[in-house]
Amino acid sequence: MNRSKLIIRWGQGLVAALTATLLALPALSAAENKAPAPNESKNAKALAAKIDQRIEARLREEKVPASPAASDAEFLRRVSLDITGVIPTAERAKAFLDSGDPDKRAKLIDELLASPEYGKRMADVWQDLLLTRTSDNRRMNPAPFYAWLKENFNANKPWDRMTRELLTASGTQDKNAAVTYFVANESVDKITDNVTKNLLGVQLQCAQCHNHPFTAWKQTEYWAMAAFFMKVRADNANRAVRQGSSPGVSEGPQINRNRRALPESAKMVPAKFLGGEQPKLIEREAYRPIVADWITSPKNPYFARAMANRVWAMMFGRGIVNPVDDMHEGNEPSHPELLKDLADGFIASGFDVKELIRAVALGKTYQRSSKPVEGNADTDRALLARMPIKVLPAEMLFDSLVQVSGSAPVREGRPARQGRGPAAGPRQQFVNFFRADEGADPTEYNHGIPQALRVMNSAQFNRTTLVDQLTRNGPKPEEAIERLFLSVLSRRPTSAETTRFTAHLTKAGLRSGCNDVLWVLLNSSECVVNR
Amino acid sequence: MTNELSRRDLLRLSAAGVAATSLSGWLPVLASHAAQSGARHKACIVLFMEGGPSHKDTFDLKPGTKDGGEFKPIPTSVPGLQISEHLPKVAKWMHEGAVIRSMSTGEGAHGRARYYMHTGYKEGVGGIVHPTLGSIVSKELGRPDFAMPNFVAVGRGAYGAGFLGAKHQPLVVTDTKRGVENLRPFTSSEQFDQRIGLLEEMESAFHREYKAASAVDHRTTYARAVTLMKSKEAKAFDLSLEPESSRSKYGSGNFAEGCLLARRLVEVGVPFVEVGLGGWDTHQDNFDRVKRLSQQIDQPMAALIGDLKERGLLKDTLVIWMGEFGRTPRINARGAKPGRDHYPRAWSTAMWGAGMKAGQVIGETDKEGATVTKRPTSGLDFLATVCTLLGITYTKNNNTPNGRPIRIVEKGATPIAELLS
Repeated sequence: MNRSKLIIRWGQGLVAALTATLLALPALSAAENKAPAPNESKNAKALAAKIDQRIEARLREEKVPASPAASDAEFLRRVSLDITGVIPTAERAKAFLDSGDPDKRAKLIDELLASPEYGKRMADVWQDLLLTRTSDNRRMNPAPFYAWLKENFNANKPWDRMTRELLTASGTQDKNAAVTYFVANESVDKITDNVTKNLLGVQLQCAQCHNHPFTAWKQTEYWAMAAFFMKVRADNANRAVRQGSSPGVSEGPQINRNRRALPESAKMVPAKFLGGEQPKLIEREAYRPIVADWITSPKNPYFARAMANRVWAMMFGRGIVNPVDDMHEGNEPSHPELLKDLADGFIASGFDVKELIRAVALGKTYQRSSKPVEGNADTDRALLARMPIKVLPAEMLFDSLVQVSGSAPVREGRPARQGRGPAAGPRQQFVNFFRADEGADPTEYNHGIPQALRVMNSAQFNRTTLVDQLTRNGPKPEEAIERLFLSVLSRRPTSAETTRFTAHLTKAGLRSGCNDVLWVLLNSSECVVNR
Repeated sequence: MTNELSRRDLLRLSAAGVAATSLSGWLPVLASHAAQSGARHKACIVLFMEGGPSHKDTFDLKPGTKDGGEFKPIPTSVPGLQISEHLPKVAKWMHEGAVIRSMSTGEGAHGRARYYMHTGYKEGVGGIVHPTLGSIVSKELGRPDFAMPNFVAVGRGAYGAGFLGAKHQPLVVTDTKRGVENLRPFTSSEQFDQRIGLLEEMESAFHREYKAASAVDHRTTYARAVTLMKSKEAKAFDLSLEPESSRSKYGSGNFAEGCLLARRLVEVGVPFVEVGLGGWDTHQDNFDRVKRLSQQIDQPMAALIGDLKERGLLKDTLVIWMGEFGRTPRINARGAKPGRDHYPRAWSTAMWGAGMKAGQVIGETDKEGATVTKRPTSGLDFLATVCTLLGITYTKNNNTPNGRPIRIVEKGATPIAELLS
């Protein structure tokens, strides 16, 4: 049985039994892909301990007090959003809060990683990063690529293999969705920028036109890296859609001098790995497998670090190197040894992404409250004395809204038009409306007036399905209030909140009062942030 | 940079200062800021002709030449300046404006050209998304404490704030009859006020305990949204409040109503409005279509300029008529009703107001309208001129979130000196 299948089954309820039996087995090097899955928990725990050690050492050094552990409710909502991109149902929240199992947090992490929503969350993050949307590809259908990402993340395909498949993809989009990466980044400069930025965590794009102002990257180094992609032929997505065909990607024997592929600014220099050697190339043979080998090698100085830093940023709203895709000597990591530990652990696990997330989520650092204590309210965020408070990205807001209202939203997508590419569905339309800009700080609230108006006043956010269900059997006001809090905020109300809202329900009537409470919770700052 | 910080601080302060009080405490703070901000600023209305209008059939006619087309030139209020016979009302306002007949740019595909003419940058270069003109104006001239949005787009195609962020995104009005979406409460206004009161009460504990900047920003945005809902300025969006006599001056249809809406918005202090009109991509049936489109814009444009003049707003308001490029001097061979194709090498724009030296023609094309023969005007020159007329220093840098400085208009721009007084 392959390892990814095991992990999924493992998360579906066999956790306790398997952990107990298999913890006794000798630890195998995870780099050997045949290693059975369950010893991963041990590796993850060891890495989690290292994380805490590094973070705490620094806090002691800086004499900054750490906030206490997060409450179960804080942890539940946070880890659900970070791993699956959606808040838990009221039932799930209640069960978790009421459980006396001392190991319930670790079990929850495994359950979330095994849920299909995990792949969706990762696909949301990575589709945004990998597909550059411009007018040149506005008719492109991203759906097959999204499905490809989702499926691979859910199956926990090792990151080096996924990356290799992306970088060497050939064929048409309907046969191999991974080619979408090159279709969306049709020109040599776009694909070079994207690969270096997202897969290597290095911003090279400035060096396209001039030597990089803050780093040692020279213009020739940019074009030497770009040279690996110069033989790629990617169909223009708009044209393919107009013609009713599926766009394709291939690598030819010669440089593709099509105006769309090769910008005027291109410099012709021999292909050379970024900051590395100049490989011997045979012109008739494909270059992409060669650069893919170099990128995904455990020895690559950027690749594992870049992903470790990304995963860290996904969980903490800030990279150890920040901005997350801008690693260079002038931009020091906040915790250099920690970044190395994470990258080493990631390599040792065979580029196992779930394992990396598991390790981060198991740590005390991740499980700390976001409430400040005396002496850490205004300290450097990077120290992680408390959990940073992130703002829900548009996708999370949408999925969580659907979770609360218990049904798909009212607003329907436009019907697709022949030759025009796919129409945006309700989720995509919502995301387009609420989306923050590229590179925005995940802890900043970026909505404007139109977004606030939509949350307050649109039919979409004023659905009464939940209240209708809830009030059908005439519950006591306190029960109804508790249920609303669990549904929206994944916590029980405080006694002050119960008292205040019970008074309101008595005055306004059960149904109307419950709709008021639901409105208040959906419009609260607490709802729109991940604390 | 410091300006941005102090704005932000101001917003945080105004929200934090009322954190412990009720909704009734939110509004006066914002209102008093709005009242204090005093002096009237400049404003800009862009009428964007999506698809690329044919210069030879609108503002740069070449009668009697090869492929000169069917339209006749007519005199305008500026002696010697002639424009299309299908723009007779606009012709009467040329003494308040200028035609630039020497636009010359390099982008010939719609998307890329539209991006270039809105942002001054080539799409995709440097891996960042550049802010559109409206977002630049919102940032440079907008008031953060203003009850109204600083950038309103009517119809589609105005592009977005790019790296300037969500605060400078346009508020998009897709249907002028419906105005701003979701401006009215879902329930009665009494129930809405009650809900806001409950929200305030419930929030205070969270804000006190977590002290999160994002939560403060959330509250500030809510305060602004509620202020807008209740403000008298928001009535500017409601065209039904306009007297029938002045509505009829503009005519009907989304573009006409967009022009009227633009006037109402500028009147209450919105610094940037873009109104889009599609259909100018006349590869086929050029003459029937350009005639119809010209008739569609003539009356509302003239009404807009006239209204602004009459109300004393034209001296501070720049009205721009533009598309993404012009159309080929040659008439193509597409069927019985041929058209003209994309042509960025030589084309026209027109603008009015904002204290420019009016009544002029800038630049010139050869007798076929194919090549610029006098004062070529690049997209950068054009945008630098627009910025200068609006009092914006176009050489200024704005920083991307990663701290990379990006000039408002790239190096190499020369504003059209003849237009600046």
